[in-house]
Amino acid sequence: MSQFLQPTILLLREGTDTSQGRAQIVSNINAVQAVADVVKSTLGPRGMDKMIQTGPKVTISNDGATILNLLEVVHPAARVLVDIAKSQDDEVGDGTTSTTLLAAELLKEAKPFIEEGIHPQIVIQGYRKALELALEKLEGFSINISRDSPEDKRNTLLKCAQTALNSKLLANTKQFFSELVVSAVEKLDPNILDRDLIGIKNVTGGSVTDSFLVDGVAFKKTFSYAGFEQQPKRFENPKICLLNLELELKSEKENAEIRIEKPEEYQQIVDAEWALIYEKLETIVKAGAQIVLSKLPIGDLATQYFADRNIFCAGRVAQEDLLRVQKATGGQVQTTVNGLNPETFGTCGLFEEVQVGAERYNLFKNCPQSRTATIVLRGGAEQFIQEAERSLNDAIMIVRRCFKANKIVAGGGAIELELSRYLRHYARSVTGKTQYIVNSYAKALEVIPRTIAENAGLNSIEIMNKLRQRHAQGGDEGRWYGVDINGQSGVCDTHSSFVWEPSLVKRNALCSATEAACAILSIDETVKNPKSDQDTKMKPKGQPGRPPMGMRR
Amino acid sequence: MSLAFDDYGRPYIILREQGSKKRMKGLEAYKSNILAAKAIANTLSSSLGPKGMDKMLVSPDGDVSVTNDGATIVEKMEIQHPTAKLLVELSQSQDAEIGDGTTGVVVLAGKLLEQALTLLDKGIHPLKISDGFDRACDVAIKHLETISEEIDIQANEHEALIQAACTALGSKVVSKRKRELGKIAVTAVLDVADLNRKDVNLDLIKIQTKTGGSVEDTRLISGILIDKDMSHPQMVKEVNDAKICLLTCPFEPPKPKTKHNINISSAEDYKKLYQQEQQYFVDMVKLVKDSGANIALCQWGFDDEANHLLLQNNLPAVRWVSGTDVELIAMATGARIIPRFQEITPEKLGKAGSVKEVQFGTSNERMLVIENCQCTKAVTILIRGGSQMIVDEAKRSIHDAICVIRNLIKDNRIVYGGGSAELACAIQVLQYADEVSSVEQYAIRSFADALEGIPSCLADNCGLNPITSVAQAKARQLQENNHRIGIDCMELGTTDMKEQRIYETLSSKKQQIQLATQVVKMILKIDDVIAPDDY
Repeated sequence: MSQFLQPTILLLREGTDTSQGRAQIVSNINAVQAVADVVKSTLGPRGMDKMIQTGPKVTISNDGATILNLLEVVHPAARVLVDIAKSQDDEVGDGTTSTTLLAAELLKEAKPFIEEGIHPQIVIQGYRKALELALEKLEGFSINISRDSPEDKRNTLLKCAQTALNSKLLANTKQFFSELVVSAVEKLDPNILDRDLIGIKNVTGGSVTDSFLVDGVAFKKTFSYAGFEQQPKRFENPKICLLNLELELKSEKENAEIRIEKPEEYQQIVDAEWALIYEKLETIVKAGAQIVLSKLPIGDLATQYFADRNIFCAGRVAQEDLLRVQKATGGQVQTTVNGLNPETFGTCGLFEEVQVGAERYNLFKNCPQSRTATIVLRGGAEQFIQEAERSLNDAIMIVRRCFKANKIVAGGGAIELELSRYLRHYARSVTGKTQYIVNSYAKALEVIPRTIAENAGLNSIEIMNKLRQRHAQGGDEGRWYGVDINGQSGVCDTHSSFVWEPSLVKRNALCSATEAACAILSIDETVKNPKSDQDTKMKPKGQPGRPPMGMRR
Repeated sequence: MSLAFDDYGRPYIILREQGSKKRMKGLEAYKSNILAAKAIANTLSSSLGPKGMDKMLVSPDGDVSVTNDGATIVEKMEIQHPTAKLLVELSQSQDAEIGDGTTGVVVLAGKLLEQALTLLDKGIHPLKISDGFDRACDVAIKHLETISEEIDIQANEHEALIQAACTALGSKVVSKRKRELGKIAVTAVLDVADLNRKDVNLDLIKIQTKTGGSVEDTRLISGILIDKDMSHPQMVKEVNDAKICLLTCPFEPPKPKTKHNINISSAEDYKKLYQQEQQYFVDMVKLVKDSGANIALCQWGFDDEANHLLLQNNLPAVRWVSGTDVELIAMATGARIIPRFQEITPEKLGKAGSVKEVQFGTSNERMLVIENCQCTKAVTILIRGGSQMIVDEAKRSIHDAICVIRNLIKDNRIVYGGGSAELACAIQVLQYADEVSSVEQYAIRSFADALEGIPSCLADNCGLNPITSVAQAKARQLQENNHRIGIDCMELGTTDMKEQRIYETLSSKKQQIQLATQVVKMILKIDDVIAPDDY
């Protein structure tokens, strides 16, 4: 008998979780589904928000990437979804929810094939083929927007920004905010469009429509010393000196040692220290600066010195703010005042310290070389403003994208349906298993309009039938029919109702969703090492099949 | 959150610490959010209006505060629930922006949520409700602007401002003295206001509290009060025609910032050092004296040696004056802050009519009053009262009143209080509702009902029958086409708020309605709550 009792071969560390084979793929697909379900209801103009509490912090958001990030997904396969949402966020800034949903739907469609025993690689091949065709068509379908006149261009940008804001808390004031966003982006250098140069400052209080755009820089009053209030708070065409220098009475070197013999010399040392700082201050004043900003602290001595000479100063200005001031005013940050040259000073039309809500803000307006803008956001609650900031961020990213790429497609699920129609049509011309798979891809694409309709409380089956029929009729008329959340019939031509998105968003969404789906399909084994220090408290309660370890009575 | 199982019955973990997280979805989430927020609003509703009650709040350290101010109450309640926290922030942002009406905004949000709950039960999609609220809010705001009246803030010795301050103070514990306190607040604000730019820097009004005496003893000092006394008990207590020297360096031998130590090897050297030090003190006092200063205020401390010398030289001095006080004094007296003794010049001295040390009651505590300053741009309100709690509450009340006056200087349009403005808006919104053909109609109508909740809450707090009095007021508004009819809280025999002179600022009312709608919209948009499962 003993020959049947094979010795157990321990290959991996005890507690290592391995699972493999077809079951593993199916299990991964299910996990992805569960995660996608969480964000599902945020899609579309009638999408809802999620409230997620992590520790003492509460976040209310509609942004797919933000939600997935806060969920702290640990399942290895489901993490892939989080990653694609993040990459979509970094790359285009919008469309994170639809990417996630699409990936999950592709996997869901693949599940029956896997269960029936089709090799995952065949499914992957089919999906890749379908993606290739879809992208090709997407290019063909997308519309070039005439941007001959600046107004046309601006209009397009406004429409795209509004589409991005549609599903957010700001939907009711989208007109207002799209203007704000477009104006802000227009301020940037059109060749680079550096997102970092648009600052968003949050001030609680006021209504959202009290938000405003500063064509220059705004930042909160920094910490100030006594004497600050005696400084002038308003300048026209000031000379702005930007420093990265500490203006404070302090020891020059940490470990310096000086030996003096006579008590009289003591005073000299004290005086020398004062002379050092006074020399710095004097150089600044002599150079004719009217506003002095520094990244490092400006001490009370310097504050009072400047106050006496009608100069405004602010120390401890945040790095990004200083950078924006530099861009806006054309000044250069100096690290020393030796040989301070008035040419390195920046200027702006108007400098003012104003009260915004409960805070005082420094505003640098009408900057000559303004390549930067600041949006000051107002609103009732902290979370509200934070969500507004995220929404504006999406809109800014979209407008930035639109600024360059001049191709758009219609939203509201119209483009997905059109691609789906095309793929279904194509599938008929192929033989073999690929036919099924391309068909599934086509079906998966429909998840976008279906979810939009579901979230809006419409009868999704009816809407989908109407849409499929419109698209099947073909031609230019039917092409842009999408879900209409306001009208009676539930469908409309979303192109003519100005639901526009840059085709780039869709392109990226399709690519990354397909890639993610393929990646998950090709995993057939997971080896998960146990945590090095097993903390029984960390283990979820009531998990079957795994008795708590190390319990002794 | 429950575990998920795959098709083979194996559980899998998706989220970190999944077992310890709680998730609420859909209708359950809406309802729990609304109920939590409503609970807060209900707590506050009894504080609304002139007959509103106070709350006593005990902090974890055992500090007791009694207040009627909405923002303070919700802040001290230390609310945990995430949705309820939104209301706390709502109240605080009203406080930051307007300063007054912090209770009203929360109560209104509560009423709106209450209405939303019934609408949800009818099966209306939450976003339809929030759309409706939004449209109703726009109508209400527009109507508020049409019924608002401009007042002349200058006329009749700023009578209108005083009345508005009285309205703000009316609901507070100090309401008995509202007229006096209102006057103090108005004078204080006008003293520091820049009427051309319509800007008021509230930092220039210092509110100082001192327990003892009664609220009637509260007074306005057209100058500065600092909670310090002369550095030596034998120094003169009063200086007239003061020339103030403001120092930010200590009366001590100067020290280099570089690390240093002194090695002494002989007794002579020690003596020499001592003399040197003495010389420093003498020089310092001399420099101050020579400039013509007759009082020195120092941000830092000084040595006993220096103190003694100052007394001998008949130079009163104050030590450890805080940085903000130094700044205020500099602004008020036109002084320049002097960083070291060598730089003292007669031009840098500040001038004030008098600086005197005053003593309160029998306590040994003294304060320094600087009055008749050269450029009065800073004022102090000294609040007195029987107990710390009363003084604190009076401080908050005066702050509210000051904010109201500031808002009137910024924008001199007013609406009438006593719930009349809300009623007028409700009537307007109701009319508008009938013109809307979609589902939003219900939401708009509910918005009107919620607006009516404010006067009814007022009436309730005053012991009137809320339903009859609101109904009467509403009927009269419609019959007489008079938007000034409100609730007669003080039982003065008239419901016309213009006669009762209950003024509220338009900006505050507008803000209340806008902020409340905004937050309600936000709460209605949440359909999923994921939180740690520990409460």
